[in-house]
Amino acid sequence: MNAFLAAINVEQMSEALWETLYMSMFSLVLAVVIGLILGITLYLTDKGGLLTNKYASAIIGSGVNIFRAMPYIILMIIMIPITKALTGSMLGAKAAVPSLIVAAAPFYARLTVIALSEVDKGTVEASKAMGASTYQIITKVLLPESLPALVSGVAVTGINLVSYTAMAGAIGAGGLGQLAYLYGFVRQNNAVLYTATILIMIIVFAIQGLGDYLVKKIDKR
Amino acid sequence: MIELKNIVKTFIGKGNDIHAVRGVDLTIEDGEIFGIIGYSGAGKSTLVRLINQLETQTSGEIYIEGEEISHLSPSALRKKRMKIGMIFQHFNLLWSRTVAGNIELPLEIAGVDKEHRKARVQELIQLVGLVGRENAYPSELSGGQKQRVGIARALANNPSILLCDEATSALDPETTDSILELLNDINQKLGITIVMITHQLEVVQKICHRIAVMSEGEVVETGSVQEVFENPKHAVTKRFIQSIDGTNIEELKKDLKKAYPYGQIFRLTFSSNNSDKPILAEVMRKIDLPISIVDSNIHHTRTGPIGSMYVHVSAGSSSEYDRLVELLKEYKVKVEVI
Repeated sequence: MNAFLAAINVEQMSEALWETLYMSMFSLVLAVVIGLILGITLYLTDKGGLLTNKYASAIIGSGVNIFRAMPYIILMIIMIPITKALTGSMLGAKAAVPSLIVAAAPFYARLTVIALSEVDKGTVEASKAMGASTYQIITKVLLPESLPALVSGVAVTGINLVSYTAMAGAIGAGGLGQLAYLYGFVRQNNAVLYTATILIMIIVFAIQGLGDYLVKKIDKR
Repeated sequence: MIELKNIVKTFIGKGNDIHAVRGVDLTIEDGEIFGIIGYSGAGKSTLVRLINQLETQTSGEIYIEGEEISHLSPSALRKKRMKIGMIFQHFNLLWSRTVAGNIELPLEIAGVDKEHRKARVQELIQLVGLVGRENAYPSELSGGQKQRVGIARALANNPSILLCDEATSALDPETTDSILELLNDINQKLGITIVMITHQLEVVQKICHRIAVMSEGEVVETGSVQEVFENPKHAVTKRFIQSIDGTNIEELKKDLKKAYPYGQIFRLTFSSNNSDKPILAEVMRKIDLPISIVDSNIHHTRTGPIGSMYVHVSAGSSSEYDRLVELLKEYKVKVEVI
């Protein structure tokens, strides 16, 4: 056991942990915000929606679908030139963020559309009958009624992002993924490999647990 | 006053168009409770949704208090909608809000300030009898309670019209009664015009002043509840009336004749013209015949009892039967010899 622990550089491990958290959480926040806006727009402009618009719906819809169809590992490589332009480098946690957001935002947008579509149509009809404007329907009815699904969607997206960061680690983004690959696998240090993996799993469980707890608190059905 | 002039609504589909409403003319007076009955698919729900423009008509005009509403600007339409309340078969409450929050929603939408909102919500909670349940969530309420919240919500902005789309169809008979009582109360206290869509005849019977019968997109009969029930003219109306007797009238007559092969059976139909006097008792005092009641189906509407009763006279001469019929007719009872 002592030999096991000795093979781990705690400072290195904590730095990697911090990088993973930074990459995934920062990207999550931005992906959720962008995804939410895209999702609401898609929902409204859809056929039969409150602000039906064939063109907006088709353009945004295709954009979302294309990025969702691309495996992250390929997306992050394709985006290297953009990443370089935006952040000045292709290495490090900061450099991973653009591709992480581009991967996660369309995913969350799709979850948003699903969450909004599941709001009872009768409830939306009742709010229209009350004289609510489209803005009021979104803010006072659609979003509050779909909140449990939206929050649970954030947890799912967050977990996806953690796994994406591990992949990003393979091309130099830092974090626990990179540590597990370079030090754990390539340099065959099992202690590092297992510890980094377990830490990633703990992060995932924490996100899931927090998500479940929040959903339980806000779901009044 | 609500006026529908020559309303047509067609839903364009791939291949087949649905002619939901085919030329309907209707006038609903202020302060009345107007029922629209019909079987499923008759077009009633579509018709009622035209009144607050949740559906727009393919052609025709709709006037509410003299104003044509289908060409209003979106913001003018919203303002008009705040004065038209609506309640639904499945209540359509917000799960995420409490009872008080649900009732408050239309007030927020109308831009009423917090203090006035809270006061109004309290008033409405009292009106619908939900004191003590302000902080409950819809998932904790029974169907009847949810509909009360729906009613309170619909009345929040002091509407002059209340639209009820199958409002009691999802409730048990007792709860239905209490909701109908509440609606009647509201109509009498506040003078709100109520339009009730339903396929339940008992509902229309209990509180409506006038009704329209719809079938396949058209209004086939209109009139006061008494008129329509006593003298159904259209085949659909007759089918409806028969259905509240519970049985097929021809079958019933056959069964009664079989059960009482001797003597004579009469069908007596009572209507609002009858006095309060105990008719049968008085007739029996005037003529000495062995009369017994063998079947009856009487319903009580707001203007009086309607329905029919079958009596069996076990023995008597034909002149005695004639005398009986004469006496009953004096009391304005319609008599049919079976």
